[in-house]
Amino acid sequence: MFGKLEIFRMASAMAKHAGTRQAAIAQNVANADTPGFKARDIASFSDIMSRRRDVTGQFATRPGHLNGALDPAQPEFRIVEAAADSPNGNSVSIEDEMMKSVDTQRQHERSIAIYRSSLNILRTSLGRS
Amino acid sequence: MSEFMKALSVSASGLKAQADRIRHVSENIANADTPGYRRKTVPFETEFSDGTIAGRVKAGRVTLDRSDLERIYDPSHPLADETGQYDGSNVDLIVEIADAREAQRSYEANLKMFDQARQMSSSLMELLRK
Repeated sequence: MFGKLEIFRMASAMAKHAGTRQAAIAQNVANADTPGFKARDIASFSDIMSRRRDVTGQFATRPGHLNGALDPAQPEFRIVEAAADSPNGNSVSIEDEMMKSVDTQRQHERSIAIYRSSLNILRTSLGRS
Repeated sequence: MSEFMKALSVSASGLKAQADRIRHVSENIANADTPGYRRKTVPFETEFSDGTIAGRVKAGRVTLDRSDLERIYDPSHPLADETGQYDGSNVDLIVEIADAREAQRSYEANLKMFDQARQMSSSLMELLRK
């Protein structure tokens, strides 16, 4: 029953997005010295959500469904167009990745704060403290 | 496997690769005065073989630097030839120190990523408490 509350779904999708982005950033940092490696990133959460609102067609909710895109909250890693590559063809900038990772961590904390606060409201409405 | 586990695993592979690199740098510096020693270089490559975790980095096959060895003039040296010179190593200490600095910087960045993924996952666990 509570699984269908939209705010919980939204908060967990946001946390999941932060986790995926963190994985992308970790990959970039780990490959910061690999020749020819291009930095990757995923679409921002607000982009994904607005895309989801615009789509009027079907959504696949499990892999067996034939139509629709599968789980838009699980976006693809895509290669970022960087302004300048280093001489060995690597486009990772550690400074950028640090900024992005701080951003991601804050997004994750935010989503957890939303989840916890909603949980508190739910608890209060059930008469527990 | 959760995204955090992937992030941790990728960061750990980065730590390992950088540690490997700094080990070879120290090997080069230790052998800077060894006659005939060629410096070792570690190429990094992205691992795609494992289907579950993409993007792990690994240190590839060690290759030797092919640049010319330094000729050192010392007629009393046992390895000296008729011109009084012998082959030193082709280790350039400045290059090695720069490489070590870069490895250290990348190691710290990977460590920070590892710590952050760990923090995120433990703050998620905090939700279950209470």
